[in-house]
Amino acid sequence: MNVAVVGGSGYVGGELLRLLLGHPDVTVGQVTSESMAGKPVARAHPNLRKASRLVFAPPAELQPTDVTFLATPHGEAMGQVPGLLASGGTVIDLSADHRLRRASEYPRYYHREHPHPELLAEAVYGLPELHREELRRARLIAVPGCIATATILALAPLARTRGTSPLRAVVDAKSGSSASGRDAGPAGQHAERSGVMRAYAPAGHRHTAEIEQETRVPTALSCHGVEAVRGVLATVHALGPDPPEEKELWRIYRAAYGEEPFVRLVHDADGVHREPEPKILAGTNFCDVGFAADPERERTVLLGALDNLGKGAAGAAVQCLNVRYGLPETAGLGFLGLHPI
Amino acid sequence: MTECPECAASVESHDKVLGEVFPCPDCGTELEVQAVDPFAVQPAPREAEDWGE
Repeated sequence: MNVAVVGGSGYVGGELLRLLLGHPDVTVGQVTSESMAGKPVARAHPNLRKASRLVFAPPAELQPTDVTFLATPHGEAMGQVPGLLASGGTVIDLSADHRLRRASEYPRYYHREHPHPELLAEAVYGLPELHREELRRARLIAVPGCIATATILALAPLARTRGTSPLRAVVDAKSGSSASGRDAGPAGQHAERSGVMRAYAPAGHRHTAEIEQETRVPTALSCHGVEAVRGVLATVHALGPDPPEEKELWRIYRAAYGEEPFVRLVHDADGVHREPEPKILAGTNFCDVGFAADPERERTVLLGALDNLGKGAAGAAVQCLNVRYGLPETAGLGFLGLHPI
Repeated sequence: MTECPECAASVESHDKVLGEVFPCPDCGTELEVQAVDPFAVQPAPREAEDWGE
């Protein structure tokens, strides 16, 4: 299968190239970048030295291919997707441009009208754990946001069991600096970022829309930047009457994820790493999910940890590719992570 | 086979003997074999942590 990566010079594009170059069923034929056109891929991604002789092409030179991955900034994919779909290929969009089903949410969360709202009904939200069957037939796949993935995978199993019983969620999310992208601006400068514990979005974060769309749980999300390059940890406080006890939580989450290749339940009775933590997930496609019952406070604590560039972006995109084309779901995604790291 | 009293995971008896202590494969709780036929387990006694006291 031949694929192209549009916007390949960013951190997500680099991670995508790393995974695709190691994928047994994929040939990366094209990679584009506006800012690095004409330069070798390894200039932007030094870990790919000797792995590829690809050179960044200008976006205007993109040719139709089997699958096009869009790793462009939010707002750019909106205009490109109709033409790419017309050429007959599959599009996997890693930006936020096709994640939300309701066009009215785009002005609210992304400060722009969506020029092709008809595509929002067709796009499939790229979370195989929730949409595997739809993904098998998708022409347009919208890869979720990193904080949204960690939160949704932690919250969705409990939300499904609640039926009409009220549940609301308060989410405290921490993320590493690479989640801001390669061009993070002054906030990403070493002097500003080193040692940081910064509430960069105490309210109104854009991923709130995705979380509520996929879980149907009213969610208050606060996001913090912490001293890490990769990683997201979402601590979800699910609040509502009659919360489940621990043994019931095990049953709920085992039923949801027992057969999932990339979601692991982590709530260990002993040892150092008893609950999910993103540090050991760097470079992997895992989302580790944990929980703790707190019935006296009508609360269930849910935890989701992942690599924002892995299961939070590029890894999820490759997993969606595998599902879409009937390949082994773990193809190209077998890295188990490093410890210690 | 029996069930972990903490997380309800299936626990295989295999060749375990009375009094043997082993971790639950899912939640890691140390389980002690109380009986082999029928197979029965209970959480093994743990030393209490006294951090901060």
